[in-house]
Amino acid sequence: MMNLFRHELRVSRNATIIWTLSLSGLILFFMSMYPAISSDAKAFQNLLESYPQEVLVSLGISLETITSLLGFYSYVFTYIVLCTSIQAVQLGLQIISKESRDKTADFLLTKPVTRTSIITAKLMAALVLILITNGIFMVVARFTLPLFSDQSFDTSTFLLITSSSLWIAFFFLFIGMMASALLSPIKSVIALSLSMVFGFFVFSMLGAVVGEETIRYFTPFHYYDTAYILAHGTYEWDFVWIEVGLILVMGVLSYFLYRKKDIY
Amino acid sequence: MNLYLKELKSSRKSLFFWSLGMVFMIVAGMSKYGSLATTGQSLNELMNTMPQSIQAIMGIGTLDLSTPIGYFGVVFSNLILIASIHAILMGANMIAKEETDKTAEFLLTKPLSRAQILSAKLCATVTSILLLNIITSVVSMIILSAYYSEASSLTSLMLLMTGMFFVQLIFASLGIFIATINKSVKKTSAIATAALLITYLLSIAINLSKPLENLQYLTPFKYFEAKTILVDQSLDPLFLMLTLCIVVLFTSFSYGIFKNRDLQI
Repeated sequence: MMNLFRHELRVSRNATIIWTLSLSGLILFFMSMYPAISSDAKAFQNLLESYPQEVLVSLGISLETITSLLGFYSYVFTYIVLCTSIQAVQLGLQIISKESRDKTADFLLTKPVTRTSIITAKLMAALVLILITNGIFMVVARFTLPLFSDQSFDTSTFLLITSSSLWIAFFFLFIGMMASALLSPIKSVIALSLSMVFGFFVFSMLGAVVGEETIRYFTPFHYYDTAYILAHGTYEWDFVWIEVGLILVMGVLSYFLYRKKDIY
Repeated sequence: MNLYLKELKSSRKSLFFWSLGMVFMIVAGMSKYGSLATTGQSLNELMNTMPQSIQAIMGIGTLDLSTPIGYFGVVFSNLILIASIHAILMGANMIAKEETDKTAEFLLTKPLSRAQILSAKLCATVTSILLLNIITSVVSMIILSAYYSEASSLTSLMLLMTGMFFVQLIFASLGIFIATINKSVKKTSAIATAALLITYLLSIAINLSKPLENLQYLTPFKYFEAKTILVDQSLDPLFLMLTLCIVVLFTSFSYGIFKNRDLQI
């Protein structure tokens, strides 16, 4: 089981390095725009002074949070989460479907290990890879933010926002694993992973535009609402429990299905 | 011809689900229009003075949210994203699936030249992205006409959907191109994902930052945007030309490479 775990880590090593580097580059690239945006915001705020009070109240306050350093970071962070989710769902889908695709399933299953320990080893490896990616990203982001602004920011809020990518990635890892236990042989991992992640993503963008509350329950991208974290400095625990529940259900289901699964 | 029909038949089910997703997005997006329409008007004037980068962060853009078609523009930017994913996957899968399913040898023993095979697959891809586009257009039209009936919004809708079709064409030809040049399916998947993410994130970055505007030629998501189409009431001829060049280039490269492709079985 330890061998399998190490083998899985080694197989995905390059992909993980590429993901980590691209995410770090991405946050550097996006944050480098912040100085321009913050000066835009200041100019606009001066212009707002001449508007009636009620407009200022409805707009000015949200403008201030949105264009603060952490506000802009959390906007950009939405797209980081999109990437980490794709990584996670692909890792999840691979857990079971890769062996069938590469015709290595029969080889693996002749080894003296139970199916439960196979899936456990693979799941652990995927979890470790996700942890590494998000962990390195967090460190990079922590040192990128002060580069482009001398605004001080609340570290615990920063950590709450940044770690939400990890929780969302876990969700996608498990949904990917369940899908591969349920559906495989999966013909095209990329089709399934992109349509799942972008499906949820577009759905949550629409939800943000239309401002519908119930949509939030259906898309993990809204479980950790950055606006709420910025305002209150904590997660909305209802959604955290929903996610924990969903992950447990999907995990148990995956184990259960895989143990009885016909392997092609 | 048989191959074309076979390909259409095998993409029937996935097309159904993609259309369902599109319809769902349109309905979910437009259902909220009524409540926003009233508050939109008073803010419009103020929004126009807002710097572009901040509009982008607030998710508004220069669209006039008080008209149904302006509001539809917001939904449209999401529709175009879904349609592009569908197109690149269709394109890449058309080529890659023969090798993953181990049917490539069977197909190539048939009395068809490789060019004929690719042509049939190309036609099938174009047909299914066109079908997705038509379904989206019809559903959007029905929903928009429920809000109000004015001829101008219909022509705007047609323009938007034509723009979307061109973006779909670009991504489909890109998908086919990626699948023909790469040997392994794994690599094809990785590159297609990267291409999609990079072009999408680049379009977001361009919205945020003026100096990056010159990069707009690199991402199809910037070619036919709702905010410019709805103001100009026409598609930008420069981008139309560019689209044509890109599609022709990718397609002809694909023919060249596919002819000599080694099968990976």
